[in-house]
Amino acid sequence: MRRLAFLLAGLALIAAGCGKSSDADSPGRIVIAVDVPVTGSPYVAQTIKQGVELAAGNLNGSGGIRVGSRSYKLDVKLYDNHLSARRAVENTRRALDAGAVAVVTDGTGIDATWQIARPDGVAICIAYDGGTGLVDAAKRPNVFRIAPTNRGIAFRFAEYLIPKKLKVALFGDDSAYGRQGAADVARAFSGNPEAVALKLTLPAGETDLSPQILRVRRSGATALLVWAQPPAIAAVLSAARSIGWNVPVYAPPTGADPFIRQQLADHPSWVDGLTFASGRMTAEVGTAPFLNFQSQYESTYGVDRVGVRNAAGEPVSQPPEFATYSYDFVHVLVAAVSRAASVEPDKVLAALNEVTTEGANGDERGFNEHSHEGVVDDDVYFARFEDMVYTPVADDALSATLPPIPQTASG
Amino acid sequence: MSLRRSVGLAGAAAALAVPGSASASLQQVLLPGPTPYPTQSPPLVAGGAPPPVSLPFAVRGRAVERVLAGVGPDGELLSLRVLHRLVLTGKGDYLIVIGAPVEDVRAGAGSDSQPGLRTDQILWSGFSPGKKVLAADAELRTSEAGRFLPLRLRAVREGDSYSLTITNATTVPQIAYAGKGFRRQLAGLLDQTRRESLAGERLSTVYATVDGLVRVRKDAARTSAPLRVEGSLRFPAAPESARGGTVRGKRITFSAVLGDDSPLSLRVDVRGGGGAPRLHVVARPTNLVRALVPPGAPSWAAAVRRRAIPADVLLSRLIDTRMQLVRSDQYQAFLSNPDPQGTNRTVYVYESTATPRPKAVATPEQDSGRGGLVLVLAIAGSVLCAGAVLVLWAHS
Repeated sequence: MRRLAFLLAGLALIAAGCGKSSDADSPGRIVIAVDVPVTGSPYVAQTIKQGVELAAGNLNGSGGIRVGSRSYKLDVKLYDNHLSARRAVENTRRALDAGAVAVVTDGTGIDATWQIARPDGVAICIAYDGGTGLVDAAKRPNVFRIAPTNRGIAFRFAEYLIPKKLKVALFGDDSAYGRQGAADVARAFSGNPEAVALKLTLPAGETDLSPQILRVRRSGATALLVWAQPPAIAAVLSAARSIGWNVPVYAPPTGADPFIRQQLADHPSWVDGLTFASGRMTAEVGTAPFLNFQSQYESTYGVDRVGVRNAAGEPVSQPPEFATYSYDFVHVLVAAVSRAASVEPDKVLAALNEVTTEGANGDERGFNEHSHEGVVDDDVYFARFEDMVYTPVADDALSATLPPIPQTASG
Repeated sequence: MSLRRSVGLAGAAAALAVPGSASASLQQVLLPGPTPYPTQSPPLVAGGAPPPVSLPFAVRGRAVERVLAGVGPDGELLSLRVLHRLVLTGKGDYLIVIGAPVEDVRAGAGSDSQPGLRTDQILWSGFSPGKKVLAADAELRTSEAGRFLPLRLRAVREGDSYSLTITNATTVPQIAYAGKGFRRQLAGLLDQTRRESLAGERLSTVYATVDGLVRVRKDAARTSAPLRVEGSLRFPAAPESARGGTVRGKRITFSAVLGDDSPLSLRVDVRGGGGAPRLHVVARPTNLVRALVPPGAPSWAAAVRRRAIPADVLLSRLIDTRMQLVRSDQYQAFLSNPDPQGTNRTVYVYESTATPRPKAVATPEQDSGRGGLVLVLAIAGSVLCAGAVLVLWAHS
């Protein structure tokens, strides 16, 4: 009987040893969940997803990630939140069940999802929505963002427009995006009320905004700042230009959305002069890092066509700006895994505050204990449309230093 | 390391810069200043890898600091804050990492940006459009940063009398060298050093010619940063008398330069006052005045023409005073300036403060330690249980 006991114990030890050896030899998996509105906002979803997949593909292709004596491969899992907070909550639960170390999202449902992910120490990175209050390093320690913030964009608009002595009409559409942005813009301009002609909320689904534009024109406004979804910006441009009012129009990053140019393709001149703010695509080091990223992106996924042509008949393409943000987050995450020397989510989460990597645009990307924002306000630049393509403006100190990014075959 | 580096620099200069036309025994030796500093800190540094330097050539940095040391009734250090105001000029991107034993940081008044915090690092990142003010209000760990403060305070209250001793704590041993110099050249260099000191400028790099071998000086050189100290003690009632200070109603005021051929400590004795005073002391690294006054002449050049001051005395005075000015310059930056050529100005303020309450929150280390113990006990228990079951089964 005693012999049997020793035999069983020996077999158990051998089995345990075999298991360990097998684990050590096969590469582990680091799951990154991508929760985006595939069926709600396909362009945004696609650009975020492709940024993550491109980074994961590059890292896996170069042997994966070494943590201690074991190597790991990145495993990207896609979830469709359909712009629904409820779906985002379900998706986050599924991602946690799948062992995700981090969730990359456009920002949908973040007010609920961060609380679900926090007990597991899982990081959530917003790669699109710049809404104020979504990210708070103290209150939401597992939420990070690599995207320009509404607050930063609003502040930069105030800094840019107030010295021009314009009377600015501040528009926001009645979407959550429009309301939040309009509130940030109002705060940014609150110290200079003389620069504001009036504030107005636009109906997001309305295609004819002629009455609102007439009212604004009568108010004496000399510029329009439209914080709205792309359809509302297109509608504002249509209403203003169709009555011959060439008022300068300013917009947040949604101003660069291909939808606006597609809507106004029959009147390309109506787009001319539209100025939008966004995160700069190139840093002081020049265009090389971004062009290198763009080249990889386009060779993997093809060129993002806007669906319009310039005056010379050349098709216009869209630089993959927002893909850089999700791409950068994967690299910051991997740096955190290396620093933590662990794939345990809570350890990786802590290490995310301690690392910096070079972003796809050549800028440094990283977070710290006080700020979980990966795009600083100083990186917000302004670009103006001319002939369906945009170039950085010359009358802003930062923007003037930035080279244009080619958007047609002839550049 | 820096001592070795000083000697090494002198030696290297001596070996490489022999003037061809002169005698082969003539050597050009590098005099102290503007760097290296005799110790690694200040400016404060943090452990680990050195921070990356990412300040473009086009951007310059000027730092102004106010170090606020909270002291207890005995003069012991209780808290330490630094208001670090960095003014960038020039256009370009910046990524600034200031290493220090920092506990917390927030933006200071007038800052154009928000500082980031990492373990032992203050971060700044952004774009300077031509001018940018980066002001940080940082709380430092006293246990690590306190030893780099320039003053030590000790207060004793016995019955009706109170005494405060303020000591210059910047003194460090240094290796100085000696050799056979040339009086006129050394006098000229002393005049140049004096001019730069009086103008409050950082020392420029200079060489002295030495005939023959350079040797380490036998007397142990000790260098201190000269500090201008001004302060006051506010008592509950008007003191009866004071020595080392002036009675002004309920206040005793005092001032002195600690160093620069003056004593390195100051003592203020007070009788009466009706209780413990509130202390306020301001210290500024300062230039040298007394140590560089030419003896009996308007300049060192004139002094050596009037009387034969030995060359070794001149060389010794030149090296000693320059080392003091280097040490003074070192204390002008308590936190580092990312621009090595940038100017720095630091004021050290010591003030009475209440004893901080100990934090009641359990540290993660304590929690994890307890968790670890529980885990070990659980594993041990499981092994014992499994053994017992195995034994029972084997005997069944």
